Amino acid sequence: MTVPRTNDGDGRTADEQRGDGDERTASPSSATAATDPLLRIENLHKSYGAEEVLRGVSLEIDRGDVEVLVGPSGSGKSTLLQCLNRLTEIDSGHIYLGDTEVTASETDPNEIRQQIGMVFQDINLFAHLTARKNITLGLRKVRGMSAEAARERADSELDRVGLADQADSYPAQLSGGQKQRVGIARALAMDPEVMLFDEPTSALDPELSNEVLAVMDELVDEGMTMVVVTHEMRFARGAASGITFLADGQIVERGPPDRLFENPSHERTAQFFENISHDHD
Amino acid sequence: MTEGTDVTTATERDPVAGTEPRPTARDRLRSSFDRAGHLLAVLAGLVFWGWLLTRWLYDWVLARVGIGPGAGEAFLSPAPLEALAASLSSAAGSFGPLGVPVGWLASAADAAALGVDIGPALATGAWYTIVLTLSSLTLGFCIAVPLAILRVYGGPMRWLALAYTELIRGTPLLAQLFVLYYGLPLSAWLNDFSVVGRGFVPGYAFWIAILGFTINGSAYQAEYIRGALETVDEGQLTAARALGLSKFEGIRHVVLPQTLRYAIPAWTNELVYLIKYSSLAGFITVPELYYRANDIASSTLEYTSIFGLLAIVYLGLVLSATNVMGCVERRVAVPGLGGAEGRQQEPNE
Repeated sequence: MTVPRTNDGDGRTADEQRGDGDERTASPSSATAATDPLLRIENLHKSYGAEEVLRGVSLEIDRGDVEVLVGPSGSGKSTLLQCLNRLTEIDSGHIYLGDTEVTASETDPNEIRQQIGMVFQDINLFAHLTARKNITLGLRKVRGMSAEAARERADSELDRVGLADQADSYPAQLSGGQKQRVGIARALAMDPEVMLFDEPTSALDPELSNEVLAVMDELVDEGMTMVVVTHEMRFARGAASGITFLADGQIVERGPPDRLFENPSHERTAQFFENISHDHD
Repeated sequence: MTEGTDVTTATERDPVAGTEPRPTARDRLRSSFDRAGHLLAVLAGLVFWGWLLTRWLYDWVLARVGIGPGAGEAFLSPAPLEALAASLSSAAGSFGPLGVPVGWLASAADAAALGVDIGPALATGAWYTIVLTLSSLTLGFCIAVPLAILRVYGGPMRWLALAYTELIRGTPLLAQLFVLYYGLPLSAWLNDFSVVGRGFVPGYAFWIAILGFTINGSAYQAEYIRGALETVDEGQLTAARALGLSKFEGIRHVVLPQTLRYAIPAWTNELVYLIKYSSLAGFITVPELYYRANDIASSTLEYTSIFGLLAIVYLGLVLSATNVMGCVERRVAVPGLGGAEGRQQEPNE
């Protein structure tokens, strides 16, 4: 599915953007999309050498949902995220974004990646560019925006994450939390349909994590579809529409946060949440 | 700025101002030495480049229309200096042991006279050295960047880059020049161009030297750039691709701009090497700096003084090169990306 793109230099409000999404689902060309999940993952397999990291993962995520992936390290959460925008190529299985098959060989991964925003654990801001230019690079080179429009868009995204005054700062001059907020703004500027967060606060002090989580909470309120790998259980409890617990490359259990936290059906899940709550106390 | 922030910055600044020691006489002396040294360096640079430029312009323009002493001839006569040297050295003999410093003065005057005499030849040679160095470095860079990218990101193709680099780095530069000059029919091919060797266009040996230095330098530069490429975090390219940039665009817009900043110090090193390595072009008859000096020395047999003067010219070129590259490095510096920033503070600061 291609998003109808307007010139977004005017910095539209979140509600207007949501409006776009509603129009899209209501439009005749994708009339079925209203009931179909936005993101559909079918029987995904991925190995690194002899080690099978994903062993038949299937998952459906609706538009506007916030899916939190949890699980012990090495369970395949980050690999799963990287497969969604084909930063990692899968061995077998299918991924659909709307009615486009992401994993089809004729699908241009660069096209798909514009529609799937990604935020990294290591933040990965472009070290040689200011906060503003980190955002304008994609707009200029991928979306072909004019310098002026890209600049306006970047400034409005920086304003959205509360960093309008840091537009000319280089990454090395920003705190970890500020950097990650620029990272989020950089992904949002591309008008993605889905945002992927790969442990966005793991590299940050608890204090700095909160400013990043606050921005993510706002995105949840605006109705952004999000897939989040995190150990921040407060965020998961408050924002997730579903929690998926992965272990050893397989989905052990999936459900709404209340049920998974209070009454998990698998011993493995219960044990994991137990360990996590100890770690964070 | 609100009043509140003003107050906080003022109180933050106060204790620092209170503890900062007043500049001592030693500090002041040191900083005035620094300033004098800087001034002297600038002055020396102006004299050096002023001389070179005047010489070149004169030889190319005025000498051709018959003004002045003629192309390749000294502006001043060395005769007065030679006379001074002669009288000083005869005086030195009559002073006994006290005559030693006078003898030094005599040698200095002698060297100055020689400098005036061979200056024009050195200036012309320096022109060849500079053009040879700069064009080879630039052309080599154009080959080195794709070579290094191939080596790091090229997949199976990286063996090609590796083979080229190792072959070129593993054989002597002089041998490479000889193969190009004597071994291949390049000279005949170059001479087919009617412009080669006419007017301002240097002869074929010069072009073969540029080819040789370009090939040789590209292998070394590729290694420097490869090292710098590997310094750039892998996540930078991942982030670029996650935005929808292709791998090539990611390398072009994100990885390379950082790489080249990291590579500047090593690249400066290559420039400095090449200025002096270019003297090997003399072995295939390119009339560059070393060739000229050696030529004059072998006829006058004043090797020590002539090579001493030659060393001064090379030193002037090298110091100019490092200064220019230093300026470039400061110009393109980005906070947090390489550089010596913050690492040279006094230990007790």
